[in-house]
Amino acid sequence: MANTNTKFLVVDDFSTMRRIVRNLLKELGYTNVDEAEDGVAALSKLKGGGFEFVVSDWNMPNMDGLTLLQNIRADAELSKLPVLMVTAEAKKENIIAAAQAGANGYVVKPFTAATLDEKLSKIFEKLEKAGA
Amino acid sequence: MTSEVTQQQAANVESSVGLSSSDEILNRVGHVTRTLHDSLSGLGLDKILEQVAQDIPDARDRLAYVARMTEQAAERVLNATDVAIPLQEELASGATALEQRWKSVMAEPSLKSEYNSAANETLTYLAMAGKNTAETKALLMDIMMAQDFQDLTGQVIKKITGLAQDLEKQLVQLLIDFSPAIPKKDAEANKADTGDNSALLNGPQIDPNAVDVVASQEQVDDLLDSLGF
Repeated sequence: MANTNTKFLVVDDFSTMRRIVRNLLKELGYTNVDEAEDGVAALSKLKGGGFEFVVSDWNMPNMDGLTLLQNIRADAELSKLPVLMVTAEAKKENIIAAAQAGANGYVVKPFTAATLDEKLSKIFEKLEKAGA
Repeated sequence: MTSEVTQQQAANVESSVGLSSSDEILNRVGHVTRTLHDSLSGLGLDKILEQVAQDIPDARDRLAYVARMTEQAAERVLNATDVAIPLQEELASGATALEQRWKSVMAEPSLKSEYNSAANETLTYLAMAGKNTAETKALLMDIMMAQDFQDLTGQVIKKITGLAQDLEKQLVQLLIDFSPAIPKKDAEANKADTGDNSALLNGPQIDPNAVDVVASQEQVDDLLDSLGF
């Protein structure tokens, strides 16, 4: 398991879902969590620095999750940031697009606590291997 | 009575105009029908109707999804509380019983056997408390996860709201395009006659460039001046 002090940014336009993801992360031991309500707010928070992981919805006003992901990958400072998509978009083309844009994981809503745990662990594992 | 008169009139017309004229009537009815059909297509009405025919079942399906998801969530929450409530009641009644037990032991602290048995009961209670609180916590997590419907149904409802707005816009446009000019004026005149002012309740004008809308107080004043007020 990764450092429990890892700083997360949870991006979703529905506050219910942000609270659920935040609580699940807390349950998994990650208590350092901030929230953003859309891609624009997320990007400005990310540029403020300090974040180590992004969990993002797709369908949001102002800037959607895919655009946010593309912006993160295009930004020299943020490009290495792990991004997990958690979205109701369940079409193949969506998943392919997210992968091509450089998403580290893709969780389809509704999801379980176990799924989130598994995807997070997998991403951390890969990051550790890449770092080692 | 009326239909008899109409038939009589029709018969008169027919006998007076003769066979060649009735052909012409048919031609003209055909022409009008053709024009109507063309104008419907030209206005995109056929497309609108096709769209409506697709949108309504789509909205129905989406609403059924909302109903299903909310029902599932409600059942999940109610099931969890059904399990959690007895767990909490057990904790509460156990605590009350232990409290009484210890009070009576303390009243006669010399009885070693009583003391030991109270201590054992306490240990049993603590084990139960640990189990019940862990189970309750799992149930609370389940209740939390059950709220994930709100995000999904919220997205679906937003879509349906958009769809309803589109339909409304298209139907209003339809009314505007197809309301005959003269009868509309009559209807307005009738409204004025009967003292119905609802037609005047338009709310704030959001487009100052719209026809027959004033953009400023100055224009209001000018208008009043020109009318001699």
